[in-house]
Amino acid sequence: MNALELHGIVKRFGPVTALDGVSLAMAPGEVLALVGENGAGKSTLVSVACGLYRADAGTVSAFGRQLPPADPRAAIDAGIGVVYQHFMLVGPLTVWENAVLGREPRRLGFIDRRRSRREAADVAARLGLAIDVDARVETLSVAAQQRVEILKQLWRGARALILDEPTALLSPQESAELMRTVRALAAEGRAVLFISHKLREVLAVADRIAVIRRGNILRAAAPRSRTDTAALADLMMGGAPAVVARSSPSRMLPQPGIVLRARELTCSSDRGLPALRGVSFDVRSGEVVGVAGVDGNGQTELAEAIAGLRSAGGLLSLDGDTSFHRSPAAARRAGMAHLPEDRRRLALCGSLSVEENLALGHHSSPPYARGFLIDRPGRRAMAQRLIAEFDVRTPDPSARAADLSGGNQQKLVAARELSGGPPPRLIVAVHPTRGLDPRASRRVHEALFAAQRGGAAILVVSLDLDELRELCHRILVLFDGRIAGEAAPDASDEQLGRMMLGQVPAVA
Amino acid sequence: MPELRTRLFAPARDPLWGAIAALLVSLLVSFLAIAVSGRDAVSGFADLVSGAFGGIGPLGETAIKSAVLILTGLSVAVAFTVGLFNIGAEGQLIWGGLAAAVVGQIDVPGAMVWSLAAAALAGALWGLLPGWLKVRRGVHEVISTILLNWIAIHLVQGWLVPGPLGAPGSGATVSVAGTEPIVAAARLPRLFFGSRLDLGFPLALLAAAAVWWLLTRTWRGFEWRAVGTGRDAARASGVPADRRICEGMALSGALAGLGGALLILGTEHKYPGVFRTGYGFDGIAVALVGGGTALGTTAAAIVFGALRAGATRLQLVGIHPSFAELTQGLAVLLVAAPRLFLPLLARLRGRPAAAASDPPIPTVQP
Repeated sequence: MNALELHGIVKRFGPVTALDGVSLAMAPGEVLALVGENGAGKSTLVSVACGLYRADAGTVSAFGRQLPPADPRAAIDAGIGVVYQHFMLVGPLTVWENAVLGREPRRLGFIDRRRSRREAADVAARLGLAIDVDARVETLSVAAQQRVEILKQLWRGARALILDEPTALLSPQESAELMRTVRALAAEGRAVLFISHKLREVLAVADRIAVIRRGNILRAAAPRSRTDTAALADLMMGGAPAVVARSSPSRMLPQPGIVLRARELTCSSDRGLPALRGVSFDVRSGEVVGVAGVDGNGQTELAEAIAGLRSAGGLLSLDGDTSFHRSPAAARRAGMAHLPEDRRRLALCGSLSVEENLALGHHSSPPYARGFLIDRPGRRAMAQRLIAEFDVRTPDPSARAADLSGGNQQKLVAARELSGGPPPRLIVAVHPTRGLDPRASRRVHEALFAAQRGGAAILVVSLDLDELRELCHRILVLFDGRIAGEAAPDASDEQLGRMMLGQVPAVA
Repeated sequence: MPELRTRLFAPARDPLWGAIAALLVSLLVSFLAIAVSGRDAVSGFADLVSGAFGGIGPLGETAIKSAVLILTGLSVAVAFTVGLFNIGAEGQLIWGGLAAAVVGQIDVPGAMVWSLAAAALAGALWGLLPGWLKVRRGVHEVISTILLNWIAIHLVQGWLVPGPLGAPGSGATVSVAGTEPIVAAARLPRLFFGSRLDLGFPLALLAAAAVWWLLTRTWRGFEWRAVGTGRDAARASGVPADRRICEGMALSGALAGLGGALLILGTEHKYPGVFRTGYGFDGIAVALVGGGTALGTTAAAIVFGALRAGATRLQLVGIHPSFAELTQGLAVLLVAAPRLFLPLLARLRGRPAAAASDPPIPTVQP
């Protein structure tokens, strides 16, 4: 009997077929990985499996029972639990309150707090989830919040767990910890569907690997021993060059001129706590500097301070201009491009069109405008060029940006920031390829390299150490608002990881 | 609140026929309501139609009322474009009317133009205030504009018009007669004999065309729309969002102020002692039914203007003229309610409303 079985699922959105007869089964105790490029249908598959979408054809069954279509409650009752990329937690509540929220055990009409807390603690203890059930969720790290999500699903009795890109926000150590948890869940007899772009970790954790491409499952039973990342990538891309094979980019040596200079930079987080406590570094023309660190150690604030979105103390200069960061407009005029972390909030106007979003920021100069008028043919032509160049999958340039998939939204932002306007002097790229498949990541990396060859200084914040190694001349590690160390691109995970946890004094 | 507002104004996703159907259904319901109350609904409706369209006179009435509604509707629509829900068109209209009435008393060449300009300026300042409070102090514009309406009503109609600006000699301490009349040169010229239709209607159409052009053809208008749909993203992209919000609110106020000027310069010819128009509030309904676009708002304003004009005739057959308000209210309800309730209903049935476009997964960011 399969824990979760999808049979012949077809799902269309208007003229677009997202899933084209997908069948997939996982047994209890099994970790099945699902890989595929952006827009391949992974998220749609999850939404069908957990009853959010009604499939146009096909059935979903859990533990031998067929589920009614489009009934999320029935899916939960049948033991299907989903941990999304964006957590659905209530910050001010405690861990156990979040765990039982919506299905609180009751006694005499009141929430049975003692029993709720005890049960949540029991589940956490049984799986060795390192978590304090009395902590308020908003005080927890991203990794800990993810454990709360898992705890919530387990407490609800999920026996078939779906993890949607669970490692996207984690440091290497935290990812390793999550892998252990996943294996522990499987050892308990639960089935885990593990969705990821990171082929290396998929190979490490999964019993079987399913590759989805254009709404079709290509292979659901790749034996781990005979698969490697290149072969998997081939399968995902469908005959495209094996993009995962590390080909050294045309990496130029940095030029002597310093573009970005930061001295004793300080700033506060949204909650008013010190986020940066005296950060100093330079980025030269043509240099790519990486910023690594566990999420929440000041990277976001650093990027926002440089982009003019957050006021900062200390000195920041861009080509000698020390006031470029007083506003985003001033920073843009000085030649800064920014790929922000929260692209939905800071980079996109969701209800404007793809074309309009591609113009945003450059919209008042040619080819987007003529005088005070919008140059409509010019803007349309430019949009079409950028859409083609970055392979933004949209039915039409006038489609709403909010209707694109997350990966395609990221491509849109990258296209605009890196190729949409005059060549930037400074690029601040935060998680530039998060949510992108290898091919799209490649495209973004190439655009970054092109800018670098043009003499731009580039600061890349990423949690993906492989990405930093590939892109950067050197990597700064932030810990607790300070630079804990600097590493060369060939530093090991272990070395970087120790610095990220603040365990090693600055090297060299 | 932004969530609610976004749902209420969803022009791109709502086809035109939705608004038309809502209007027709609300007319039908009003018709039935009259019939049920025992009146002669058929002749009532005939009166309504003839009161709105039956000849040059009624057409003029429709145009006069439509003109003001176009301006107040545009006022609300423009504010929404920069992301603000302007409830304050009434207050802005009152100041605009007063400014027109005061400046219109000065006998100079081009008095009409000066009066219109003064009205636009006064309305713009009263509209700028909530915009400024919003970006500087974070005061929610719905609260501030509602309160500013009352401040305007009491300052103008409770003090300035009966007091310092009132016509002398009409009362010992308090004037009920309003201000001195404006000079002839300040009046809006009538366009036809036999009709009160004046220059106001073409002016309103011109304003609508200008707003349409500004919002869809200039990059400044694009920045307004960007700020309205994603203030943080616009700001991060280098758009001075706070300034754009203030500009949008100033234009919003200017349009409502012009609406007030049309009433004063076109029909009242002075600021009257009793002046409760409701046009400012009706502007909200007009913009809602019109989907927040310049074209839709103009169309909705003409329909509601015709209703207002026709409803005065209904009194002849003993039907209360508030009939127009009934129809208008129903239309708003029918247009707005589906936008509010369809997603809710769909969710109750466990089916996401627009599955393809909106991820139905509610997210609470940590």
